[in-house]
Amino acid sequence: MADFTWTATSPLQHATRPRRHGAAVQQSGIVLSEVLDFSLVLILARRGQWSATAKAAKEFFGAEAPAKPLAVRGKTTTLFWSGADQFYALFPRVPAAQPLDGMREPFAAKASLSDQSDGRCLIQISGPKVRAMLAKLSSLDLDGSVFPVGAAAATSIDHSGVNLWRDTDAADGSPVYNVLVFTSFADSIWHTILDSSAEYGVEVVRPHALDEKPSS
Amino acid sequence: MRIACPFCGERENGEFTYLGDAKPQRPAMVALEVAGGAAGEAEAFYDYVYLRDNVAGEMDEYWYHGGGCRSWLRLTRNTATHEITSVEAAPGTGASSSPASTAGTIS
Repeated sequence: MADFTWTATSPLQHATRPRRHGAAVQQSGIVLSEVLDFSLVLILARRGQWSATAKAAKEFFGAEAPAKPLAVRGKTTTLFWSGADQFYALFPRVPAAQPLDGMREPFAAKASLSDQSDGRCLIQISGPKVRAMLAKLSSLDLDGSVFPVGAAAATSIDHSGVNLWRDTDAADGSPVYNVLVFTSFADSIWHTILDSSAEYGVEVVRPHALDEKPSS
Repeated sequence: MRIACPFCGERENGEFTYLGDAKPQRPAMVALEVAGGAAGEAEAFYDYVYLRDNVAGEMDEYWYHGGGCRSWLRLTRNTATHEITSVEAAPGTGASSSPASTAGTIS
């Protein structure tokens, strides 16, 4: 009997073809890309186990577990807050390995783990006009004084729950925002972002890995 | 109307869902006892399920932050003015060791 090999594909694979959209401008106001090849695990501390969970996360990921809406970077993993006593771990996908490999034991009886790797798409948005564009979609105040690098939020965009956090600034000094969306809503939200970005000129750059900077 | 979620900060009310009055407490009896229960038990249960005050003024309410951190909140709101005078996490939120305590808040 033939063996099947399943190839994971993103629901955004057609949408993210590199090209320019919207206004024909010298410099695109928005730079848009999809981040691929990540593993994503939701970690929920059990009753009375927050401190033990935070300690296990610190030892396992080398990053401080966020107790409030923050995104904390470890060596290869970003931990970002998603609710009371729960947070996500985002790290590069290891081929032929399961995301929960090695995690079960250190978190046993302290936290519940839920692999969400294939349930979310990660969209990265930057460019000099990114804040003006996001102001149309989000009710958050994204001004640098209240939403600096490393700030995170669980919020809604276009009636769909998203996790949003600010990454280190792009080479041109523009802020970079990561928006984690449900795969089933990804195409819809992607096009909402594209429509909101059109007036500023959009450059869609090729999908890239977590630790890779977007480039055309 | 905006609600200051103790976990997320101030958010628009579109992120929240309204449950209703936080005052009614479930009578301390199991449903099976209703039929043959002591006098007044069925009435107490009826009150708990169906009867609500129609308050014009301050009211304790449960709200759910479904469009955000997915926490239940208990807040005091003036139904006539929408003024919110207190917001706290509902008992048992997050990993708080006691269901009666509230989990961490933004400092």
